[in-house]
Amino acid sequence: MNEPINRRDCLRVLGISGMSAGLGTISSRQLFGRSIDDPSGFESSVIATHKTENHLDAATIVDGKVIQPRRELPILDRTDVLIVGGGPAGVVAAIAAKRAGANVTLVERYGHFGGLWTGGLVLLVIGHIVKGGKQVCQGIGEEIMRRLDKLDGAIIDRKAGTNPTVDAEAVKYVMVEMIEEAGVKVFLHCWGVDAVIDENVVRGVVFESKSGRQAILAKVVIDATGDGDIFAAAGATFEHRSHNVGLVSRIGNLDRIDSTKASGQPKPRHMGSPTPASGVNWVNMHGPEVDGLDVATLTRMEMNHRKFIWNNIQKNRQIPGYERLYLVETAPQLGVRITRVLDGLKTVTLTDLKAGTKFPDVIGVGGSDGRNQDEWQIPYGALVPVKADNVLAAGRCICAEIRMADLVRLIPNCFVTGHAAGVAAAVAVEDSCSPREVDIKKIQKILRQQEAYLG
Amino acid sequence: MLNILTSAKGSRLRSFVRVICLIVAIAAIWPILPGTISLLFIPALSPFVAIVSLLGTRAFHAVTWLGLTVGVVVLVHHRLFCRWICPVGLCLDGASKLGKRLGRRSMRVPQLGRWIVWLTIGGAFLGYPLLLWLDPLAIFANVPFLIQQHSRPGMWLPAAGFLAIVMLSIIWPQIWCNKMCPLGAFQDLFFSARRFLHSIVFKRSETDNKRDFDLIIARRTVLGIAAGAVLAYVAKPVRAKTSHSIRPPGALDESQFAGVCTRCGNCLRVCPSGIIERDFGQNGIANLFTPILRFENDYCREDCIRCTEVCPSGALVRLSLKEKADIQIGLPKVNMDICLLGDDRECSVCKRWCPYDAIQYIFSEEEYTLIPKINQQKCTGCGACEAACPTEPQKAIVVLPNSVSV
Repeated sequence: MNEPINRRDCLRVLGISGMSAGLGTISSRQLFGRSIDDPSGFESSVIATHKTENHLDAATIVDGKVIQPRRELPILDRTDVLIVGGGPAGVVAAIAAKRAGANVTLVERYGHFGGLWTGGLVLLVIGHIVKGGKQVCQGIGEEIMRRLDKLDGAIIDRKAGTNPTVDAEAVKYVMVEMIEEAGVKVFLHCWGVDAVIDENVVRGVVFESKSGRQAILAKVVIDATGDGDIFAAAGATFEHRSHNVGLVSRIGNLDRIDSTKASGQPKPRHMGSPTPASGVNWVNMHGPEVDGLDVATLTRMEMNHRKFIWNNIQKNRQIPGYERLYLVETAPQLGVRITRVLDGLKTVTLTDLKAGTKFPDVIGVGGSDGRNQDEWQIPYGALVPVKADNVLAAGRCICAEIRMADLVRLIPNCFVTGHAAGVAAAVAVEDSCSPREVDIKKIQKILRQQEAYLG
Repeated sequence: MLNILTSAKGSRLRSFVRVICLIVAIAAIWPILPGTISLLFIPALSPFVAIVSLLGTRAFHAVTWLGLTVGVVVLVHHRLFCRWICPVGLCLDGASKLGKRLGRRSMRVPQLGRWIVWLTIGGAFLGYPLLLWLDPLAIFANVPFLIQQHSRPGMWLPAAGFLAIVMLSIIWPQIWCNKMCPLGAFQDLFFSARRFLHSIVFKRSETDNKRDFDLIIARRTVLGIAAGAVLAYVAKPVRAKTSHSIRPPGALDESQFAGVCTRCGNCLRVCPSGIIERDFGQNGIANLFTPILRFENDYCREDCIRCTEVCPSGALVRLSLKEKADIQIGLPKVNMDICLLGDDRECSVCKRWCPYDAIQYIFSEEEYTLIPKINQQKCTGCGACEAACPTEPQKAIVVLPNSVSV
């Protein structure tokens, strides 16, 4: 956080929320913030006394239904481009929009950047290359990869025609570095829960955080939540899909395994593939096909997968030579692959991929997960909702038919759509127009200046 | 009209027509207009191919009328086809002249061509025309393979048949045309039948009658046909078991295919995916040079029936696109030991590329991973999954012939 929370706002929020937990967290954060500037000892101080009389905003029960009253929300920030979601698409979008001249605010629900790439521990980067090993993911996404190259132990298998594997902590670090260099304003631990709309036009986003419910107003909003939370709240039409939900883990001590002892024994299962950390593998998981928007389902997935991962490790440890194998960690974030997919002006289709269709509004080129596939263009229209204005989709929730979902959601393809959404939002702000009326030639020109590959 | 065919004046006309026919034939097998199916017409012109495959498959193919028409036309005059039309004949005449100039002389051999015809007809009765592939026009259709670019070595080999008969004709002038060519011998048979019928109507001398009668129903004929039938009977069951390769869509049953296929190579050359290849003996000598499919790089497209359109003998039955979609040329099998899904890897390639939406990934609680399941009702065996499968060097999903996968 660049600036500490305004004290008056803070008191107001505390006063109306009346949540003791909120009080505790914020006061300790304030204390910590102060202690750096002005060391005052290892003590706690009172920020405000708890006022109980103003309970008007709490939900009440009316006729057996839980009703949340109307209330005014504090405005946390006003900006040109607001990006919700700090995964590969959101981070690239933020940097791109800022470099294109807009004021940018990025909010992220976890305490770090990278989304499923880091928090989900999906460490293998598939989808930046096509037939013949040609790399089609360039621009800011490639810049991230180049920064990882320069760090020790951040990335392996980074050579032409192969899919590299990264270290999640290195990615988190590089993203912080790049976001700060670009001058993007950031709010972490903020969960976008609603859109601020004016008829059909999105004017901002509402967040829930330890500071309570707040709003950020923006000229253009980019929905990089992956789940399309914001465009759905704004009234854009979408398709709600199920996909496999898994939980990734990392296992260690692989360099202390003596596989020669295991001859004649059953093969250890779910052993994953190497990461930059020596002796540590990341283990992907498919999981069953479920609705990733249903919280009861997500809970069940999380608990089932956790049990499976632990038990599988124990089973593998029974194999002679594998006794020292251990579970390093399970991913903090559940591996939800696809949920909401936008109804866009254009759809990314397999037919276009096969035909090699060239779009006049191309904003990026997608890579493949196989080796025999040619490059495919992504049209700008796939980011623009049919309904709802001033909001763009980026990342896995852009408009794509179901057969393309597994390509669109790949990390490099999220870089590409994020990059385009960021530039498009900045151009819309500069030209004071809606993202659906934006000058596509100008977007393409800036994307090329920012070293994106458009075919 | 018959005068023109035999007169001295007609000789120059004949040379002219033959050269024109050769030029047209070459233009047809090297489709000068891209996208045309002109190469079909060369092997399909042969009445030997048309009638014997009609006999063998008991089905009238779209192109059978071509060979039948030629069959009727050649009844006008003995060996009319050889003398006026046959592009191979002209080439071999040239080769024979060269042979003679080199001092080579004809060799006395029995009428092998007739035996080829008898055996083949005998086999055809059992659905397995033994030596149909010796048709000269089918051999001629292979000539382009000599210089065409190929991904695989040895693809030119079938074209060696043409070189072989040219060499034969240089060493023993006219040996092929006069003694060995089944198409020529077939015309002899046809023409004799005509004369025999003619003589019954118009009462000719006994000796002429007997000669023609001998040709049609003599002991040798019966023996030849019987021998052909016995050979085909012996050969049929062996074939059905040995072919482990997938045939192009519309292919006859394995018990017939190797017999009816002329090895002309038309199907290979029109395939837009380039997935049809020759069998180089992996399924026994009987299947040598017959077409098999390889899905390494591409698949049998849902919008294409071209191979079935250019088959002169009906070894590939002509299909409509709708009919083709209902045919299953094979069934894919997944090797979970190398499938990326079995290793928890992220891959949805085969599912995405299946044109028939026949692949589903089912989560197995036991294995705790996804397992591809093939819907046998929807799958046509087109090989799109195999072509797209990213595992190397072995593909995790491989299409197997129905006989093997069941």
